[in-house]
Parts: sequence; C-alpha cells; structure tokens
Amino acid sequence: MNEEKITCVGCPMGCETTLYVDARGKVIKIEGYKCKDGPRWVMEEYQNPVRIFTGTILTQKSSTPLLPVRSNRPILKTKMKEAARTLIKIKRFIRVFNG
Amino acid sequence: MKFSEIDVAVIGSGPAGMAAAIKAKEEGAEHVLIFERQEQLGGLLHQCIHNGFGLFYFGQDLTGPEYGRRFVKRIKDLGIEVLLETMVTQISPEKELMAINKHEGPICLKPKSIVLAMGCRERTRGQLSIPGTRPAGIFTAGTAQRFVNVEGFIPGKRVVILGSGDIGLIMARRLTLEGAEVKAVVEILPYVGGLIRNEVQCLHDFHIPLLLEHTVTQIHGEKRIEAVTIAKVDKDKKPIYSTEQIIECDTLLLSVGLIPENELSKMAGVELDPLTGGPVVDEHRETSVAGIFAGGNVVHVHDLVDHVSWEAEVAGTWAARYAKKYMFEKKPKLVLRPGRNIRSVVPQLIRGQEDTSLYIRVKELEEGVWLKVDEIYSQRLRVVKPSEMIKVTLSKNQIEPMIGKTEELTISCERVGKHE
Repeated sequence: MNEEKITCVGCPMGCETTLYVDARGKVIKIEGYKCKDGPRWVMEEYQNPVRIFTGTILTQKSSTPLLPVRSNRPILKTKMKEAARTLIKIKRFIRVFNG
Repeated sequence: MKFSEIDVAVIGSGPAGMAAAIKAKEEGAEHVLIFERQEQLGGLLHQCIHNGFGLFYFGQDLTGPEYGRRFVKRIKDLGIEVLLETMVTQISPEKELMAINKHEGPICLKPKSIVLAMGCRERTRGQLSIPGTRPAGIFTAGTAQRFVNVEGFIPGKRVVILGSGDIGLIMARRLTLEGAEVKAVVEILPYVGGLIRNEVQCLHDFHIPLLLEHTVTQIHGEKRIEAVTIAKVDKDKKPIYSTEQIIECDTLLLSVGLIPENELSKMAGVELDPLTGGPVVDEHRETSVAGIFAGGNVVHVHDLVDHVSWEAEVAGTWAARYAKKYMFEKKPKLVLRPGRNIRSVVPQLIRGQEDTSLYIRVKELEEGVWLKVDEIYSQRLRVVKPSEMIKVTLSKNQIEPMIGKTEELTISCERVGKHE
C-alpha cells in the first residue's frame, strides 16, 4: 500500500492529508481532513487537480485599461498557462456594465 | 450633506471600512460617512483579482473585486454617505476630524464616533537594510500587483521574490501566467510566510523554486537591478557566506510583511500595542479614546479578508451604539497577556459582557501544543504556525467568573506532555 501526502486546497485551512492507495491505484482511506467536504476535495486534488482561473483582459479604455475576469468553473491546473495565453488574444472593445 | 450631523465617520473603505459602515447603519446610526482617499470604494480589493475571498463570510469562492462589489452595493442600497478622493489629515483626541478634497477644500467635522479602518501598508527595502546598489526594479509585491492587475504593466521578465507572504506568492503565480519567469521565492524562515494553500497553488503548481532559510545578501546593478546574491542562513538568521550564489534578474519583489497604518490613530492619542502595531482595543473594538473604534488590518494584520470584515462589523456596531449614547454598565476589564510562544492577542482587553472571539498569533511554529487561556480554556492543536491566526471563542460564562478575581489572563502555548 502506498501513502500519498496531499495538501487540501479546498479552503484556507490547508489541511495536510494522507491518502492510502492500494496496489491497483484505489484509494482505501483518507486521513487528516477536518470538514465534511474534505474527502471530495482531496480526491479531486489527487485524481484531477483543478483551479479557478483568474486574469485580466484589455478594455481599450484609458481610465480602466484592464477588466478582471475569472473562469465560471474550475479548470485543470495544467491548463492555467494556456488560459492566460488565450486571454492575451482578446483585444476587442469591451463595454463594462456595473463596473 | 451636513457635516455637523455625522453620527459615525469611517476612515477608509476597504473590506473593513465598508463592513463597519454597513453595520453602523444597520444598527441605527442615521448619518454614516465614509472617507476614502482613492477614486472608488473597496480599498485594495480591486487589485486582488485572484479568488479565495469570502469562503467563510459568504460561503462562496469570490475574487477580490467580486467580494468588494457586494459591500459597495449594500452601501448604495442603505444610502451611506461617501466622500471619495478625500484624505483625512487629522483626528484630535476630542474626535475632531480634518479632511481635504478638491471639491470642498478643507473639511472639519466632529462626528459622534469614529471607526478607524485605514488598513495596513507593506514593509519596504528600507526596513530590511539589504546591502548593495540602489537600482530601479525593486518593488513591494503589492505595488507590482497594482501594476499588473490594474494599470496593465509587467514590472519585469526575470523575477526574484524575497519573502513568502501571501501577496508575494500570489504575484509569483500572476507574473508566471503573464509570461515572466519567477526564478525563486527566497524566505529567511524555515517555513513559508503565507497560507499553505497559496504555497501549493502559486508555487508548486508552476514549479517555482522556494528557497527556505535563504536571504538576499546583495543587490547588483547600476540603473536597473541585474542580479541578487542569495545565501543560506544559520539558526540565528545570519547569512552563511560560503553558500552565496548569484541569481540574474531584472526585478526583485519584496513580500516581507505588513504594518498597520496608524498615523491618524497616534494623532488622536490612541494607545498602540507594540506587538500588533495597531491600537489596543477591547472586545467592542473600542480604542483607549472613548468613541474611537478600530477594525480590520489597522488593528492587526489578518490572514483572511473574511475576518477583517467580521472584526470591522463589531467596531461598526459599537460605534453606532456609542453615537446613540447606548448605555451599558462597564464592568472592570481583564488584560489579555501573551505568554509562552504567543506573539499577540486581539482584543487586548475584555470585560466578559458577551461571548468574545480572541485572535491569537504565535511566535514560532510548534507541533503538539495545548493552547490555553489561563484556567478557563484549553484546546489541543496538532500544529501552530505564525502565518495562521488562531481564533478562540470564549463564552460570557467562561469569562465572567474571572472578573474581579484577577486583572489579567495569560494566553499561552504549552507543549503536550509525553504521557498524553
């Protein structure tokens, strides 16, 4: 059985958890989390780590040149750089409401 | 707006100021006025475009601007008065307040109560005394954050970050995503200064090297910074010169701590706590000057904005009650004293008239401890870290029996005994 150390990033508590994984890669037990959502967060972090992506896009408006944006759902953490590169390409005029 | 009729004046409109003003209004203060030196409400929230705000306060994962907008909307809905681009220049112990802006010139008023919510500022190179030349390209992490997220400039392409505070970690990720190369985050302590989740999400995710027990010993470059020398440090944090190495870079960011901003508090004669750098407050967040309250990072630097808002709400509530001449019997106060391995405690004074939360910061990382508040409270903790504030809630029933019996309570971390 293998032990895997994972820091839960579900909330700012940052629980240090241990996963026990059997020979076939199945997670047998999770220890160290402190909330009911812990196991779900830790499993996600182990199998398929995702993050909310945040960045800015150019507004072409001199007083507020940038508009902060976020992804509406988490994306794969390995896709963060690609998401940032895609944002740079957005250069059309953006009208900001309720800014 | 008649300045002569202000009940509660709030200095600053960051997460603390906004929360305090809203609570004051909700508590029944008729004229609440916010002073903000920038062009918009929200303090620094607009430049904190990352998520992680409001998980506890709203139960949702928001960005800084999203978090701020919820409060701004509430301020507008409640009809709280706001003076933007207005700088408060003076507060006297008699609660006379002087401010200035380009529309009205100097403004003098005497509000019934005041909430200090000026927040904090970053420590700079001058407070570290790093040897070397004085070239361009050295920024505090927060300044760099403003450049990148608000103004649209990248401070440099090859970056070294000194200090591992949360803003530095967040900027390591931000600059990486904007195409810069973050060569290293250098931290003098044996552990990271910010939240563990930021270490994971901002450094590990992007394979940014974290050099613990290292510091910058020299800055190189004439017009622009060209490189830094770093070295490992010994137990006394003194550089070991044989371990020196040079890292080429065009930018050095400093994320080396925050200091509560208390120039106005000093003018008002408010007593400051040398341990927190902020005013000494009681559980109502009232300072040593009656009618002057304080909340948020001006009192002590928090890890999470959620706690800033909550603390400021206490200040806002009691500022409104003070303005309405709310009467309550003031019992003798207990002084909370930091004991073994405790850096600071807020509030510093309690009266035990209601349930009270204590915010505690430890001096050093320690595993396996009992956190104790004298004889009345103890909690076993697996680990305590200076970077993570501990919140302890004491009930009125726990505190009350101590009133009169003693004048102070000691907060301490005791090692868990071997037999336990």
